[in-house]
Amino acid sequence: MNQPVVMLLAGGEGSRLNILVEARAKPAVPFGGIYRLIDFTLSNIMNSGMERVGVLTQYKPLSLMSHIGSGRAWDFEGRNRGIKILPPHTGDKDSDWYKGTADALRQNMDFLTRYDSEEILVVSGDHIYYMDYAPMIAFHRRNRAHFTVAMMQVPREQLIHFGTAQVDGQGRIKDWEEKPRKPRGTLASLGIYVFKTSYLLKALQDPATVDFGKDLIPKAIKKDRVFAYPFSGYWRDVGTLAFYYDAHQDLLNPRSILNPEAWGIQPNLEEDGLKGDRPALIVQKNGRVVQSFLSSDTIIEGEVEGSILSPGVRVGKGARVINSILMHDCQVESGVFLERVIIDKRVRIGKDCRIIGCSAVPNREFPGQLNEGLTLIGKGASIPPKTVIEGNAIIHPWTDEEDYRSRKVKEGQSVRKKE
Amino acid sequence: MADILAFVLAGGRVDELSVLTFDRPKSALPFAGNFRVIDFALSNLMHARIRRVGILSQYRSTSLITHIGNGAAWDMSGRRRQVVLLPPSTGQKSSDWYKGTADAVAHNLDFIYDNNPDLVLVLSGDHIYRMDYQKMIQFHLEQKADVTAAFIKVPLEEAHRFGLGVINKKEGQPGGRLVGYEEKPADPKSQWASLTIYLFKTEILLDFMKRTHPHQEGIEFGRDIFPSLVNQYRVYGYTFSGYWGYTRTLDEYWLTHMDLFGPEPRIDLKQWQVRTNLGHERIQERQPAMVGPQAALERVLLTHGCRVEGEVRRSVLFPGVQIEEGAVVEDSILFFDTVVEAGARIKKTITDNGVRIGEGARVGGGHPLKPNRLFPHHLSSGLTVIGRNTHLPARAEVGGNCILYPFLEENMFDSNIVPAGATVS
Repeated sequence: MNQPVVMLLAGGEGSRLNILVEARAKPAVPFGGIYRLIDFTLSNIMNSGMERVGVLTQYKPLSLMSHIGSGRAWDFEGRNRGIKILPPHTGDKDSDWYKGTADALRQNMDFLTRYDSEEILVVSGDHIYYMDYAPMIAFHRRNRAHFTVAMMQVPREQLIHFGTAQVDGQGRIKDWEEKPRKPRGTLASLGIYVFKTSYLLKALQDPATVDFGKDLIPKAIKKDRVFAYPFSGYWRDVGTLAFYYDAHQDLLNPRSILNPEAWGIQPNLEEDGLKGDRPALIVQKNGRVVQSFLSSDTIIEGEVEGSILSPGVRVGKGARVINSILMHDCQVESGVFLERVIIDKRVRIGKDCRIIGCSAVPNREFPGQLNEGLTLIGKGASIPPKTVIEGNAIIHPWTDEEDYRSRKVKEGQSVRKKE
Repeated sequence: MADILAFVLAGGRVDELSVLTFDRPKSALPFAGNFRVIDFALSNLMHARIRRVGILSQYRSTSLITHIGNGAAWDMSGRRRQVVLLPPSTGQKSSDWYKGTADAVAHNLDFIYDNNPDLVLVLSGDHIYRMDYQKMIQFHLEQKADVTAAFIKVPLEEAHRFGLGVINKKEGQPGGRLVGYEEKPADPKSQWASLTIYLFKTEILLDFMKRTHPHQEGIEFGRDIFPSLVNQYRVYGYTFSGYWGYTRTLDEYWLTHMDLFGPEPRIDLKQWQVRTNLGHERIQERQPAMVGPQAALERVLLTHGCRVEGEVRRSVLFPGVQIEEGAVVEDSILFFDTVVEAGARIKKTITDNGVRIGEGARVGGGHPLKPNRLFPHHLSSGLTVIGRNTHLPARAEVGGNCILYPFLEENMFDSNIVPAGATVS
């Protein structure tokens, strides 16, 4: 079977994830201890037997590019396989930055046509899900569709975040609305498209086609064969801090079907700059761990409960870590208490700090983004000993002792780097 | 910088390790959760920037071949770097199999000619240690030595178990002229035990190999060659003072693992920067370890893919180990994908890959301690060993010092009781 070329849209800014995306694109946001969001899509692609991938980057691509590397972690390295990073580039026209999904593809026409494939599969790199794309391709071919959109039923109140559709008995899309306030349909688009290559190439010739959801689909459904491929299963957009936190709780919930290993999701453990591989993790003599997800190279001398720990985390004596997410190489010193805190990489938390995310007072800077009782600590922050930090607080990346006015950060406050 | 070629001796299987080396050489034994014993030597080579390596192996090499892969894990894959397995091959002479460590090198002189190095480093791949070979190389060059061997100080009462060097060590120097060498003497005169790390000037090694082509039975560097080398060449002893872990017997292997624990563990894996092939046994594909709501862990080494619902103390769990609810594991080393079913209790046991301990079974520990009847010298400290993929029936009772062979199914046990010291095959 002629394999589709895959275009992975990885340019997303994901600004609602706040300081987690300050220095990285949304698809590069760490998830579940050892993964990044994009690992789910990259693994789904390889597990579906598709081996030619272009990754469209734009926003802060550095950590994404170093993460993907040669693609070896996902087995994309070989004579007939390959993954190519496709950043925006200056061309004959003045159009340089990608203006939308369709525009990004248009600027990479040479890649789209190089492998002479029947179909182009377009996916995005910022969702948590498991999907075999092959049945969707088969569905697309069976329907002799011009293109097919993967869709699933979601609760009505969530439809405002999605492209939504109504379909006929054959699954053909009859009506389309982009992020509707009062949706007519119940199906949400997952941002996964299969295009007949010849159709796509023609559609992209019209420079007015900038975005699939906004420009192409509304026009196309009037005259062309556009189908909705029904998907059911675990699929999460972790685009807000609350969704991001909830998906992590699913990892710990035995009733949830979120199970990266069973899904064949592959991380890249060969992190840049790692001289030795991370050794086994150790729970020391007085350590206590329940209901948690623990990664390599972690040393636990205190208590950990309901939490997800990335590689290299240290939890000191007498420290307690409850319902929190700690990313790579965080140091939690002795006597610290943490509850409902999301902590980015390489944070140091001084002795006897108390950081409790629970609060009903939204963050003052970002009331729309941080209001569900979580506290957020940015990459590389160093928190002085005995600091008390309340809920919905944001401790910005790389802040340290000098940036604190007092040893107490009240609910909804932020600590920023001094100018 | 001197151009160096390394040989890693990875050959042997040893009776002392029983079922654990039935289908792998000693150097491919899993260690400390994510690693194999040979990773320590290969990582030391990588850190010393020695990038051309031949691995001499003839026993059950599949697991080793898979593990080494193309050497990319140790950054030994590239235009001017390689790691190759050098198995025995039929040649013009009748002698084909490697008969000893020196014989194995003698069979691969081509590899030395092809690479044309300044120095040849020969080391064994079955020790747990971190050593900077460049320091030894520097010492060798400074002393204008023909041959340098590494030694470590051992207690006099244990010295008779080792190859011993008599070193004219000068104050403040990391070694000195080697004036004598004895292999496992009954009456030791030195405490400097050989680490089986030898550095040769290439022409000296080739000259010696040509003159005394070691194709007689069992030619070993230590036993057969070193005593005579000392009188013919400038031979030096380099003294090493770091941690040195043995894995020659089941007891040693188990005790070396116990050095991973403690507030300041003697084996500091993080500090040592050990590399492994993360593709082997799918280490890279496994998710973080899942610890359940009823679990209790104390002094445990845990790896990706593990799921713990029961109690574990002073044990090492390799990737994919499952400990079900109510199970209790103590003082044990469980290899890849071992499953301990609900309510089972195991103590001081080593299980190889894919072992399944049935519900409510009791394994290991217990009194009185009878040595293993077939191998009383190898198994008398109370350890029990279970070979790969053996499935122990529910509610079975297995005593201490027992050996269970690989691939036993539940219905192949005559009785649910395996008394202390017994072997089931």
